[in-house]
Amino acid sequence: MSALWSFFVEPFAYDFMQRAVLVAVLVGAVSAALSCFLVLKGWSLMGDAISHAVLPGIVLAFLLGLPLALGAFAAGLFSALATGYLKEHSRVKEDTVLGIVFSGMFAVGLVMFVKVETEQHLTHILFGNMLGVTAADVLETAIVAGITLLVVLLKRRDFVLYAFDPQQARVMGLNVRLLHYGLLVLLSLTVVASLQAVGIILVVAMLIAPGATGFLVTRTFGRMLAVAMAVAIGSSLLGTFVSFHIDAATGPCIVLIQTAVFLLALFFAPRTGLLMRRLGHVPELPSAPSRQ
Amino acid sequence: MIELLAPFEYDYMVKAMWVSGLVGAVCAFLSAYLMLKGWSLVGDALGHAVVPGVAGAYMLGLPYSVGAFFAGILAALSMVLVRQRTKLREDAIIGIIFTSFFALGLLMVSLWPASVNIQSIIMGNVLGISDADALQVVIIALVSLAILILKWQDLMLVFFDESHARTVGLNPLMLQVLFFTLLAACIVAALQTVGAILVIAMVITPGATAYLLTDRFRTLLLLSVGFGAVTAASGAYISFFLDGATGGVIVSLQTALFLLAFFLAPKHGRLAARRRATEVEELP
Repeated sequence: MSALWSFFVEPFAYDFMQRAVLVAVLVGAVSAALSCFLVLKGWSLMGDAISHAVLPGIVLAFLLGLPLALGAFAAGLFSALATGYLKEHSRVKEDTVLGIVFSGMFAVGLVMFVKVETEQHLTHILFGNMLGVTAADVLETAIVAGITLLVVLLKRRDFVLYAFDPQQARVMGLNVRLLHYGLLVLLSLTVVASLQAVGIILVVAMLIAPGATGFLVTRTFGRMLAVAMAVAIGSSLLGTFVSFHIDAATGPCIVLIQTAVFLLALFFAPRTGLLMRRLGHVPELPSAPSRQ
Repeated sequence: MIELLAPFEYDYMVKAMWVSGLVGAVCAFLSAYLMLKGWSLVGDALGHAVVPGVAGAYMLGLPYSVGAFFAGILAALSMVLVRQRTKLREDAIIGIIFTSFFALGLLMVSLWPASVNIQSIIMGNVLGISDADALQVVIIALVSLAILILKWQDLMLVFFDESHARTVGLNPLMLQVLFFTLLAACIVAALQTVGAILVIAMVITPGATAYLLTDRFRTLLLLSVGFGAVTAASGAYISFFLDGATGGVIVSLQTALFLLAFFLAPKHGRLAARRRATEVEELP
């Protein structure tokens, strides 16, 4: 009995594990909240783009002695604006422009990184360094994630309307431009918050999978959001725990658990899952969740 | 002056330059189709998805290209499978699948760190490429290039005028499967030069640059292949002076070229558009 007890409790007796869990849960929750909007809006790969594009910002901030988060945020936002500009003024398709901008920025960042001696490890920026998170990092993540989460939840209805139907949002007198850029800003902030914990590559997964899972199992936005956040927080807890016991990197564990939950939803969701459809309970696919 | 020629005195540099050039050329060939069809992110997704395959192959001592190819095909199949069964948007499905594959690769590496150098998968390492790997890359690139040169017109018809393609007796499904097989193969080859993250640039940027400069598909292909080969080879050359980051230099060059074309292209460039706008204003 006590062996079982220590199996579950032992990981969390260490300071570094407590910090890791805290950061993982924070990042998971805020990414999950945003993922709902991204999945509905068709912006899933925007997270991919912004997260890669922050690299030159980090190196520049290091050179100038500014906080790395500031540089990362500015670079992330720049990539979104540059994509918009290049798209509007050329005949190249949007996804291509997005790909060119973020790969180009990542490449420049990489070259700068090699030339500049920073005290950061590239692998830590790319894949996160959950177990090396310091108390200051936790605080920084908590502030950024907290603000982002607060704005998303407070302005939820406006963002939902914008994601579903920008025209309607405009008619109702919402400032669509503000919402558009607001969402981009929030996305950049989330990427910055996740830098320390999961790194810029795996945050892409955390910005899609929970929302997609919520999409599969619910029909209203409110529930979709709740499911997404629950899945993400649960995965963060379980992922950190598993990674301690199998002695593996934490970020990938969290992401793979999120994927497993997504697959479970895909097969077993009450109304839309493959199992129920095969049994003939629901003849057709449901439409997107409604706006409530 | 002599310093500028220094890279040519090293065998590994000469090898890196022509291998990169070859890979750049064949990836650029594919980029012409990818960016016109709006499939750019498929390239990105495949680039990430092959990582567990590479890691597994190195662990088992197999040729890396076999593992990568296998993982790429598996990822593509799972995307098709999930897509048939949900109403989720395509980009979300692509995103989930490729990030999961990538996470799996990272997990494998973190569990058995000794056998694989993760940095060389993610960033590419053409300067230190082994002869066995270089041979695989060259074979893949040459075979793909040969098939593309033979089939480019058929592919063009299938992608941009499918009904016409059918009437002249082509099999669209076969040709699409062929195209994606070639894409997966070239991404596997490009992995060695620029790494998993920057592969996407190799398979879209040269094509997009050429698209700003010409309206004819044949010219687009030629320009694109030219850009791809030259930027990749000269990127490898320049990286000699930087002690590394070959992938970063190659892709930076490709992006710079795209920006040049964006501003200065004779017909579709930004400056030309601005000039036209002022001319129209002055007319009346």
